[in-house]
Amino acid sequence: MPSIYSMPNRPYMTLTHAANNEKYRDYSRDFMFDIFKSMIKEEWRMHSNIFGSGGFALFPVFIFLFTFFVSLVLPVFREIFTDAQIALGMHYFFLLVGGMVGAFGLMCREFMNRRFGQASLIAYSSRTLPVSQRIIFANFLVKDVAYYFALYVLPFIAGFALAAKLVPSGNFQLPGTLLILLLTLSLSFMIGLSLVFFLSTVYAHSGKLLFSGLLAISIFLLFVFGNLDSNVFYSLPSLSFFLNPSENQFLLSFVLITVPSALSLIFLKVDYPQTKKSFSNSFSGLCGYLGSYRYAAFVVKDFLDLKRSEGGLGKVIFSFLLPAALIWMLLSALGKVIPALNALTLFSLVLGVLSSSMYNWLTEYDIFASYAFFPLRVSDMIKSKLNSYLFLNLVPFLLLTLLVLNKEPSILFPSLLLFLSISLYMVSILVYLTGLSPSINLYNGKTFALYALSVMPLLMINIILSMFGPYYVLVDLMLVPLAFYLLGQSFKKWDCIENQLF
Amino acid sequence: MIEVKNLSKSYGNTKAVNDVSLSIGKGELFGLLGPNGSGKTTIIKMLTGQIKPTSGSLKVHGVEVLEDPIRVRELVGIIPEQETPPSFLTAEEYLHFVAKIRKMEQYEEVCEKWFEFFDFGDQKNSLCKDLSRGTRQKLMFAQAFLHEPELAIIDEPLINLDPIMQRKVKDFLKGYVKNGGTIFISTHILEIAKQICTSIGIIYKGKLVHTGRLDDPVLQGRNFEEFFLELVSRPGEISALA
Repeated sequence: MPSIYSMPNRPYMTLTHAANNEKYRDYSRDFMFDIFKSMIKEEWRMHSNIFGSGGFALFPVFIFLFTFFVSLVLPVFREIFTDAQIALGMHYFFLLVGGMVGAFGLMCREFMNRRFGQASLIAYSSRTLPVSQRIIFANFLVKDVAYYFALYVLPFIAGFALAAKLVPSGNFQLPGTLLILLLTLSLSFMIGLSLVFFLSTVYAHSGKLLFSGLLAISIFLLFVFGNLDSNVFYSLPSLSFFLNPSENQFLLSFVLITVPSALSLIFLKVDYPQTKKSFSNSFSGLCGYLGSYRYAAFVVKDFLDLKRSEGGLGKVIFSFLLPAALIWMLLSALGKVIPALNALTLFSLVLGVLSSSMYNWLTEYDIFASYAFFPLRVSDMIKSKLNSYLFLNLVPFLLLTLLVLNKEPSILFPSLLLFLSISLYMVSILVYLTGLSPSINLYNGKTFALYALSVMPLLMINIILSMFGPYYVLVDLMLVPLAFYLLGQSFKKWDCIENQLF
Repeated sequence: MIEVKNLSKSYGNTKAVNDVSLSIGKGELFGLLGPNGSGKTTIIKMLTGQIKPTSGSLKVHGVEVLEDPIRVRELVGIIPEQETPPSFLTAEEYLHFVAKIRKMEQYEEVCEKWFEFFDFGDQKNSLCKDLSRGTRQKLMFAQAFLHEPELAIIDEPLINLDPIMQRKVKDFLKGYVKNGGTIFISTHILEIAKQICTSIGIIYKGKLVHTGRLDDPVLQGRNFEEFFLELVSRPGEISALA
């Protein structure tokens, strides 16, 4: 069986052939399935190389288990939300997942180079292989759909379906509904993937064109729909098809997948516009403010990384403050349905959990290989990241303080105590299990299981205890010495591990 | 300055470095030569305490590497195989950052000197991720010599540099050694070793197959390239190439 790695020399590559001006024949069509297979292998090997093959193979199993356990509380969700609202959440979630998969696949070169040196995917190899860019990217799209369908969509639906069979879940229990859900969530995923592919193609041609186009579409939508209300969100064709199956909605979904993909392939361009940025030296000035503080240089570097990377400090708003606001709204609604639950106490708890994601941000911009030749240990780098983490935690700390002072000032002390102890415990677990690479190591099945086991029971106990009044949180003070013990053990553990990738 | 005894490093069943012993004195410019994948970078990583040997002992600058790798990295200037300055600092900020890590008090002037030496002051406000590979190599060179170490360990020193900068770096290294410094370089480009090194070691498949001074009688009157190829080629390989 020929493969694209072992293509024989083709006559069109010879000078004689060019001189004869014979029509170019794209031999890549002969290798369509080989390209697809190679891309699937490449994707698998890339993931198994980063996350460990055994660990990564377990990842769909954990998606299944996680969805299953979360879906067991479906009856509670159905008390708060309508079935349509739950379906809306699921479909937009998969739209987002599709978008993220597409964005990472198309724009991950920098990440790849950091992890593997000057690596390149088959997707970027049209200049070195006798295969046309369009054929390669058509395969890339199909590969993404097939691979991530097996990795995310299928285990998610399977977990949800099993839970829906075991607990009262209305229409979600019906096999027909579940089959349609499998189809429509897949459609949402593909719409997200296809739209991001299209947007990235527009961006490759012109960043200005993309932003002015998005602005024009937003104005058009505002004009068409007038005052935006929540019903607009139900216009997503895959969701509409789920709620009210009709040929039109299915066709519209199909068009939303095929047209952007086809346009992207027709106008394909793989090189993105590069903007070189220049900054005057802020590092030394900021270090000066922090005086002789031991980790000043590292904290300032982390701050500049956050500020200057894609999205800038807007990441704090979109990745933290917006989810926090949504959670607060959800918990407020939950507090009305179940009066025994104190929304503010629960919010402090969830905010502590959410804050630990800031550690992921801080570890995304560098790898230890960049510091291995300085007089630094891995534990020094972890300590520096923890210092930056403390600074970043001022954002949720202030947010919580303002919220509690506004709603129920009498519980300010226990709320802050709860937030701080949970945030510290969560980050210590994360550091112990994943070191300097949480966003990579957490994808390892075993590590993810240990993480879930260290966190989930604690959260459940906290939710139950919170019903006995806010001062139960004094119990959580026990987490503080545990967190410090874990951090101490983490420093020893990660200093002993010899791994050039972390 | 460097004492290595019976050094070995295995990855599973693969012996990356096999029973290497070396001694490099003060004021030498030592070149470790070998084909790709012969174990040069692994030796450098062990010398600088970035990885631990499977067996053997190492002493660098009078410090037992296994006992105090941090002290070794304090004393030595190191340029790694791949240029990896953090992405979102500018070139100037990166040098200041390194100076802070190395606990230097006065560093602005020294940094400025390096920008002048490599003639890339116009890029000191550019983000490291936007620099060309050659400029990044200049930056890595600057960071290694910022604290004026007595010993520098450099993996492929001239990689990505243009001929003008290559000449400048070669002259700098020769002058550095003349002034009492010691340099350990690894390279697979024989011409570099021939031009600047005082002594060499040739490594092949993890084993040190030759050590000696470049003015060694063994090398007199012989073509250096032929000598190297004889040591690192499988029987019949050179004639096949010819």
